[in-house]
Amino acid sequence: MAAPDLRAEVDSLLLQLLQDLEELEAKRAALNSRVEEGWFSLSKARYAMGAKSVGPLQYASRMEPQVCVYISEAQDGLQKFWLVRPSAQTPEEVGPREAALRRRKGLTGTPEPESFPALQDPLNWFGILVPHSLRQAQASFREGLQLAADMASLQIRIDWGRSQLRGLQEKLKQLEPESA
Amino acid sequence: MLEGAEFYFNVDHGYLEGLVRGCKAGLLTQQDYINLVQCETLEDVKIHLQTTDYGNFLANQTNPLTVSKIDTEMRKKLCREFEYFRNHSLEPLSTFFTYMTCSYMIDNVILLMNGSLQKKSVKEILVKCHPLGRFTEMEAVNIAETPSDLFNAVLVETPLAPFFQDCMSENILDELNIELLHNKLYKSYLEAFYKFCKNHGDVTAEIMCPILEFEADRRAFIITLNSFGTELSKEDRETLYPTCGKLYPEGLCLLAQAEDFDQMRRVADHYGVYKPLFDAVGGGSGGKTLEDVFYEREVQMNVLAFNRQFHYGVFYAYTKLKEQEMRNIVWIAECISQRHRTKINSYIPIL
Repeated sequence: MAAPDLRAEVDSLLLQLLQDLEELEAKRAALNSRVEEGWFSLSKARYAMGAKSVGPLQYASRMEPQVCVYISEAQDGLQKFWLVRPSAQTPEEVGPREAALRRRKGLTGTPEPESFPALQDPLNWFGILVPHSLRQAQASFREGLQLAADMASLQIRIDWGRSQLRGLQEKLKQLEPESA
Repeated sequence: MLEGAEFYFNVDHGYLEGLVRGCKAGLLTQQDYINLVQCETLEDVKIHLQTTDYGNFLANQTNPLTVSKIDTEMRKKLCREFEYFRNHSLEPLSTFFTYMTCSYMIDNVILLMNGSLQKKSVKEILVKCHPLGRFTEMEAVNIAETPSDLFNAVLVETPLAPFFQDCMSENILDELNIELLHNKLYKSYLEAFYKFCKNHGDVTAEIMCPILEFEADRRAFIITLNSFGTELSKEDRETLYPTCGKLYPEGLCLLAQAEDFDQMRRVADHYGVYKPLFDAVGGGSGGKTLEDVFYEREVQMNVLAFNRQFHYGVFYAYTKLKEQEMRNIVWIAECISQRHRTKINSYIPIL
């Protein structure tokens, strides 16, 4: 490959890398502030509801995830992280559904016909009538989740960019002594 | 009932009134709060609290100190004082104290039931229950699956039994039904407490009835506010409002139809007591929330209760003021431990 083309490619790669780094820093700052806001809103909820009403007593030691991470590969071989909701079980799977219902209700009665166990909103662990600050906390943490996935994808891109850059710079060094 | 309380009150209750007034003098002052706000770590908070009435209450705590431990120890201290009052009381003050503990008992029952939904062990939850609401049948609460079960098997011998009239049903206790049970129990309790105070008459009724009316209306407003956007229907919501407040009956009807904060505000504007409170609510995330404004008003009323003598309201007021003080300390401690000091001054000063 000719040296000027190579140099142009190095330049554009470097610019892309720096842009990604800037975006990563911005997202990191945003994630930190979301998480901080989330915890602070939880403190406000504790003030309104009572200190023991928002704490480890309210969540089970084993939880069903509301959001899963899904990894996909793009054309250039880079992996990207997506946040997806785990899909609800199809009605044909009667076995696990019944077991799930039994665990929740503690009865051997007939399962309800209308809905299979839809994913429960974790907000309901704290009661149905929860103060606004608790909802705000949930919203902050949700935004933080999305930012975390973006940051992971960006970091993979940055690592890839750096290795590409190193490769191109090696090639340039090899070409330079020849053209010198 | 007993008119002219100033003649008879001190015979049975004078010692305890003197004691509670002494305890009230030990509440944290503005200077104490200023010192606490300047602390950098929770250890500093512990050192500052040693100079107050709290003394060495955290002395036996292992490292690291957490906000939850501070809260638990403060509650234990309040419980010790309360139990001392209760053990030395005579009727009808003893019944008054029993009424006061019922609200904590209701909270503990709900905590136990929610914990059993989350498959927590009873021992784990019992440790976190409010000590003022302890009763012997507590450990059996988690076996009940319906409200009728709960009443017949567990709570029929406790002071909570009379409050179950409107709550009996065969619905399985899931989150929504537990929430409904919680609010209905509290509504019955508040109305019964109000009736007790009103029948007692005299200065106690003059002091306690407005406080309990405010509590009832505050419940109605907060239930309405928190129910926006949930699955709770308007009819269900109306059954949860306590009826011993100023809002009964027209205000409660209007409130049941409210669909957002502004409609609630318009209901409050009809009442001279509540209009200024709603006006003080700051918009958005900056200013005061409705709960903050209500807490401030509660503190005001409780402090004024000490201006009259020869009534039981001083005991109620002292307990509530102590709780606000605990909320303040926990708030300051959380701000310090999260290093988020912008709102650290949002506590409500009492003295």
